[in-house]
Amino acid sequence: MAITTEEIKQKVVDSITSIEDGPQVLRLYMDVCARCGVCAEQCPVYYGGPDEMRNPVVRSDMIRSIYKKHTTTSGKLLGSLIGAEDFDGDMEKWVTAFYECTGCRRCATFCPFGIDNSVITRKGRAIAEMLDMTPDTMKRVVQASLETGNTDGASPEAFMSAIEFLEEEMKDEHGIDIRIPVDVVGAEYFYVPPSGDVLVNPEATTGIAKVFYVLGMQDKWTMSSKLFDGANYGLFTGNDADMKADNKPYVDEAIRLGVKYMFMGECGHAYRIMKMMMEKGKWWGDLPFEVVNCMEWTADRIREGKLQFDKSKNPMRVTYHDPCNFGRSCNIIEDPRVILEASCSDFKDMTPNRGENWCCGGGGGLSAMDDIRDFRMHVSGKKKMEQVKVTEAKYVATACSNCKRQFMQLIETHKADFAVGGVHDMLSRSILIDGKAANRIDWEAGD
Amino acid sequence: MDTFAFIILPYIAVITFVVGIIYRFKHWTRTPQPGKMTLSPWPQGGLVGNLIKEALFFPSLFKGNKPLWIFSWLFHAALVLIIMGHLRVFTSLIDTVLVGWGVNVKAMSSNFGGAAGIVIFATVLLLTLRRLTLKRVREITNFADLFALILLIAIIATGNSMRFGGEHFDLAVSREYFANLFTFSFTSLVVPASSIFKLHFFLVQLLVMYIPFSKILHFGGIFFTQSLIQKT
Repeated sequence: MAITTEEIKQKVVDSITSIEDGPQVLRLYMDVCARCGVCAEQCPVYYGGPDEMRNPVVRSDMIRSIYKKHTTTSGKLLGSLIGAEDFDGDMEKWVTAFYECTGCRRCATFCPFGIDNSVITRKGRAIAEMLDMTPDTMKRVVQASLETGNTDGASPEAFMSAIEFLEEEMKDEHGIDIRIPVDVVGAEYFYVPPSGDVLVNPEATTGIAKVFYVLGMQDKWTMSSKLFDGANYGLFTGNDADMKADNKPYVDEAIRLGVKYMFMGECGHAYRIMKMMMEKGKWWGDLPFEVVNCMEWTADRIREGKLQFDKSKNPMRVTYHDPCNFGRSCNIIEDPRVILEASCSDFKDMTPNRGENWCCGGGGGLSAMDDIRDFRMHVSGKKKMEQVKVTEAKYVATACSNCKRQFMQLIETHKADFAVGGVHDMLSRSILIDGKAANRIDWEAGD
Repeated sequence: MDTFAFIILPYIAVITFVVGIIYRFKHWTRTPQPGKMTLSPWPQGGLVGNLIKEALFFPSLFKGNKPLWIFSWLFHAALVLIIMGHLRVFTSLIDTVLVGWGVNVKAMSSNFGGAAGIVIFATVLLLTLRRLTLKRVREITNFADLFALILLIAIIATGNSMRFGGEHFDLAVSREYFANLFTFSFTSLVVPASSIFKLHFFLVQLLVMYIPFSKILHFGGIFFTQSLIQKT
């Protein structure tokens, strides 16, 4: 039975009035905004296409004005005098608007009040999800992940053959056996790579395997043949139940393997959920393991002087794109730079960088949505392309599969002359094993 | 009319303001916040110090937009001076203390007060102009934003005219009036006759009552919202 417009209106209003009871952050954002417009100036989406509907305040007002109208006596009495408006019932506009915010949190860095519009965006998406109006492209990713444990829907067999291939690659590169342990109960580190890393961007995994090998810790880590994708789109659809359902198997697997560390790969949002939400929020009580990120771990080994590199293996200009979820949400900022500066001969930061970096344009899960590819290529990703161009980099290293996918498409669309890849990829190409770096003539041809 | 607007309304205005603000703050504090949302790079230094820094100097805005930072900082600084200056109307105690320190209160009032009056008028006009002309700000401007601005401009204009205009503000009469209001001495209470004073004070009362329901709440909200992203 189709839902009527009146029922939709009521559900939207009910969901918004529930903000009164929390979370505090949303409750505050309903009351506090001086409407100065600084967020619009600092927003990658508004920069790329300054339409009214893309102004962060206009988007957030879609929820704020309904909140004022329906929760406060003053809103009922004074109406537009205090910015209260009723819901216009246009859900199509609603979904488009909230799926045009990349949730990068750059606005919060510059807002005098620190208002993080991504929180309001997530609420807007949660309302769309409640009405079963999440865009199909997003829905499919969540579905695949909940059914197979990974967003690509890959089988354990496919994963195992990919692992075998990677071990052969490393044998070719170094002439020795460097293993990628799988399903080892009793290991210390459970490596959770980002979505598709093993299948699509395999060098990050070989990089990590090499670090463990050099440190003599080959038997200390493991991957899982069933759970090899930390991506969790529940964060992006605003569905908390999905987010937890997607998270649970990884926690169970870490416990089953009996590891001391959940060792997160180069995936910003996966790490953020594990580190900032799951671990701190005590979703599953006290955990018998600690969540660490591969970049901070490797960077610490470099700081300790335990890893050596042949920088000449990476002669090209390399820059680093701070994924929003690492750079603005998890404080993983200097570590990737430590790795890149150790392993590349010409590293150059883009401007601005770190906490002030511009989003790639594919944040908030948008990168997976091919139905809005034009928007991502020409609007949300516009600033990023300009920023990279100035650095004259030939390789953009970044630690996020969504950023990588967005970059790959940007490069293709704009016929740009640079490559994109991970941070440990650069390490994999130049790390010294028994005094020798990988023998990979094809990379020197100027990839 | 005078009885309502200048003898009854002042109490209503103060009660509305105090109750409204306490209600808001209480509600904000009591709403639960699961999880943290600290913005990295993790803030250095103590939380309280950082909050005070944000509230006094607007460093985030400084990073985000320098011209707006200048206008809005000057606006708020002048506002603070003006509020401090107005305390003199409610009590002669400040005068006594300042005179005791050898300060020429009259000169200080006309120099600092006068300057603040000019600065706040100029900046509020510039901020209004910005709101109306810049596309990204114009499109987020709603009726409430304009209402607050018009109210402010009218209050500042009437206030300034009592300093710079022909009919100068009468400190003694006003002090008497407020002293009677404070002590509930209605028998000896005389509402000042100046119509410009009455207009100014009436508009101020409207503003004071409007604050708890409006975006002007940001003066208190900043501590709450900033601490959300600064708490490590």
